[in-house]
Amino acid sequence: MLHKLYDWIDERLDITPIWRDIADHEVPEHVNPAHHFSAFVYCFGGLTFFVTVIQILSGMFLTMYYVPDIVNAWESVKYLQTQVAHGQIVRGMHHWGASVVIVMIFLHTLRVFFQGAYKKPRELNWVVGVLLFFVMLGLGFTGYLLPWDNKAFFATQVGLEIAESVPYIGGDLKTLLAGDPEIVGAKTLARFFAIHVFFLPAALFALMGAHFIMIRRQGISGPL
Amino acid sequence: MTDKKNQVSRRQFLNYTLTGVGGFMGAALVAPMVGFAVDPLLKGEKDTDFVYVMDENEITNEPQRKTFKVDQVDGWYESQVDRTAWVFRDENGEILALSPVCTHLGCTVDWNSREEFSNEFFCPCHDGRYDKNGVNIADTPPTEPLHAYEYKVEDGKLYLGKAKSRKEA
Amino acid sequence: MQRGKGMKFVEDSRVLDKESRNKIPKDYSEYPGRTEAFWPNFLLKEWLVGAVFLIGFLCLVAAHPSPLEQQADPNNASYIPLPDWYFLFLYELLKYEFAAGDYVVIGTVVIPGLAFGALLIAPFLDRGPERRPSKRPIATGLMLLGVIATIWLTYESVEAVNWEDRANYSVEAVPDVEIDEEDPGYEVYQNNCMSCHGGQLEGNPASGGPSLVGIPHGKEALKDIAVNGVGEMPANMFEGTDEELDQLAEFIISVNEQANGEGEEGESEEESE
Repeated sequence: MLHKLYDWIDERLDITPIWRDIADHEVPEHVNPAHHFSAFVYCFGGLTFFVTVIQILSGMFLTMYYVPDIVNAWESVKYLQTQVAHGQIVRGMHHWGASVVIVMIFLHTLRVFFQGAYKKPRELNWVVGVLLFFVMLGLGFTGYLLPWDNKAFFATQVGLEIAESVPYIGGDLKTLLAGDPEIVGAKTLARFFAIHVFFLPAALFALMGAHFIMIRRQGISGPL
Repeated sequence: MTDKKNQVSRRQFLNYTLTGVGGFMGAALVAPMVGFAVDPLLKGEKDTDFVYVMDENEITNEPQRKTFKVDQVDGWYESQVDRTAWVFRDENGEILALSPVCTHLGCTVDWNSREEFSNEFFCPCHDGRYDKNGVNIADTPPTEPLHAYEYKVEDGKLYLGKAKSRKEA
Repeated sequence: MQRGKGMKFVEDSRVLDKESRNKIPKDYSEYPGRTEAFWPNFLLKEWLVGAVFLIGFLCLVAAHPSPLEQQADPNNASYIPLPDWYFLFLYELLKYEFAAGDYVVIGTVVIPGLAFGALLIAPFLDRGPERRPSKRPIATGLMLLGVIATIWLTYESVEAVNWEDRANYSVEAVPDVEIDEEDPGYEVYQNNCMSCHGGQLEGNPASGGPSLVGIPHGKEALKDIAVNGVGEMPANMFEGTDEELDQLAEFIISVNEQANGEGEEGESEEESE
């Protein structure tokens, strides 16, 4: 039954080469921890992706209860954390995942750097990877404000002050981020929510797609 | 597949293990999130408090429109919402407090609002009609009588609770 | 890719007919060493690592509930802001003189801009063919310097924070008590104690005043402390009549009794406002 369905789709779209390319490629010896224990350093990229999946899933579910509004945001986070089944776990996943993903991406970056894996012909993939790092930090910064507790509010205010200190464009930059030249409030929260939930994830998906396509085209860098 | 037919090949075995480990990871990840999403189903219905509406001696045989406020806890949002009831005594002297929500599609019915349907509850959306006791009149869209509020009378005061279906009655 | 006459397609699409597709699988012999198929052999190993990681991660999540502090209050003058740990290095950097005040641009733009900019274009700065860290000392040295500086700054920042005081910012630290503002003792409290012990008796980490909920003292002990002080609390903080002192002690005790009573009942949904 499934075979027939697969054949039906495959005849029309020729999908076999797509997944065969992903599934059948050979993994070289030097990245295989079964042969060299030190090859565990190659896990960090995969784990970064895994935690990113956790972040996307838990984030999607969190928005079922969360509202980006200064009156209700904190109340809704408190509600989902204390009253909703498994709320503590789902918010915990998102909260701790944010920290773990930074750790993993940091270790992955160090691995690639110290192995010189960014050298020709992989320069572009390194640039995309560093941009992914920036996007992750941006997600961390914007996500921090969303619960609208004291920590969120004051840390964001500090962050906006830092943006303001940029020469020439600082004031405009801050206004653009906060949505208001003076108040850090309702407009800021709505803006940060939009950036956190739509704009940065969109950039994340595009960059991750580019990152993976380049890895598949170039293959993993050889042993040192 | 070299010697015996029903022997599992190494590749098949790895595939099964892979599916198993993948399934475990997926389940461990998604299980709490599914519980989180279906929480409204787990919560069930809450009991409503009885709210004072009017004095018993003000109740007449003619339906009177009464609004009252109930405390509503809507997740993290607590508010007071207006409820409306048509309160009167039926032929047997029993107190009846009808919900004005049409049992057809949820529009709001009105008492005696049309000349051609006097002494009836009438719903303007699809011309649904109910007699004075809130029983739906045959050949009009509603399929069951108007819901009636649970009530209790204490010290000559009428308290209303939750509006319940009267279908089996 | 094959082109030209003789190719068969699925109807008028550009997808090749099944018979014409290239069905020869890739030749594994072109790969040197002990290679392994990605699916299922290698992926299984990756997923085993992933599963172990996930168990560890879920244990972390279960053991440490994610923190939620009290609702944002822009007028809270006593709050000491602190960013998430992965921005602490930047936060700490801005404490240094050369990166603060008139030179804040150095701390906020120049240093992070140079560091992250160099990271972004690293492949174009380090162009030699050598990959071993020991063969490219400048790149390795700069990276090590950056990593050590980041870790050092983060450590310094963490050291400077009083984590016990910060725990008082948590929403759980707010006693779930209803303050009876009609109580005559409340007015006395407002005038004498509130500046250090907070409007809800929750304490104030900045001024050092501890929470007054959950304290063991009886009425006489409370009156004594209010007049003579205790620990870091100076004497003569209370200025008023003996009658007011009585009212104050009774008020604090009543709040404590309320808090204890609620604790025994378990979870109660009383709003603290």
